[in-house]
Amino acid sequence: MARMKFLCDSERCIECNGCVTACKNEHEVPWGVNRRRVVTLDDGVPGERSISVACMHCTDAPCAAVCPVDCFYTTDDGIVLHDKDLCIGCGYCFYACPFGAPQYPQKEAFGVRGKMDKCTFCAGGPQGKDNSEEERKKYGRNRIAEGKLPLCAEMCSTKALLAGDGDMVADIYRERVLKRSGRPQTWGWETAYQEDV
Amino acid sequence: MNASKATLTACVAALALLAGCHEPVSVTVYEAGEYKGESDPLLKAHAKSESKEALQKRFSMGQSDR
Repeated sequence: MARMKFLCDSERCIECNGCVTACKNEHEVPWGVNRRRVVTLDDGVPGERSISVACMHCTDAPCAAVCPVDCFYTTDDGIVLHDKDLCIGCGYCFYACPFGAPQYPQKEAFGVRGKMDKCTFCAGGPQGKDNSEEERKKYGRNRIAEGKLPLCAEMCSTKALLAGDGDMVADIYRERVLKRSGRPQTWGWETAYQEDV
Repeated sequence: MNASKATLTACVAALALLAGCHEPVSVTVYEAGEYKGESDPLLKAHAKSESKEALQKRFSMGQSDR
């Protein structure tokens, strides 16, 4: 079965932050919490690259592996979701996640963080019926239940950010790379091990 | 008479106050690797092939390169 995946094409991302704004607007994400963010490498230098990062809905999610109360579950097609009623806000998932996806809405004395919040692939959470008021308040809008894909990707003006069936996403990216006649320049052997290796 | 009335009132007030302190307690006993939260209705709805096809159609409509 195909899995739902995000992919950001660094050759196309223009750092417009449209995805970040779309996400915040769609889910009414509180101030200080960013479910998605755009990271720029070598900002201001010729050849700079940007990528849009959020929860990558890992196949073997480290957040779920370290959660002491097992509040994570994965849908059939690989969307990693969590139950905020079970979450104790310990922050282990934040330390485990390589993408910095888990966010905490409160910053108070004595390390009180509040319940963890993260990208849901626009699939809401386990609260009541799909797209109920409670679900929307806790997890944001459930676009998947409406037959829609994540708004961040659907809003992307350059189609740098793709979200959907992993096989279809991979096909599109493969075609793009072939058209560019080579491999993407940001990631690769030369970047990781220097050009002279 | 007045004293017994006052005692009765005090007892009723105390009971009402104590009742206000009641808090429903439900304990979730965690077991390693087992999700014990509420079930998500999306899981059932999304298991149907129609919903998957709808998402694939939407993807090819909106995100594929032209």
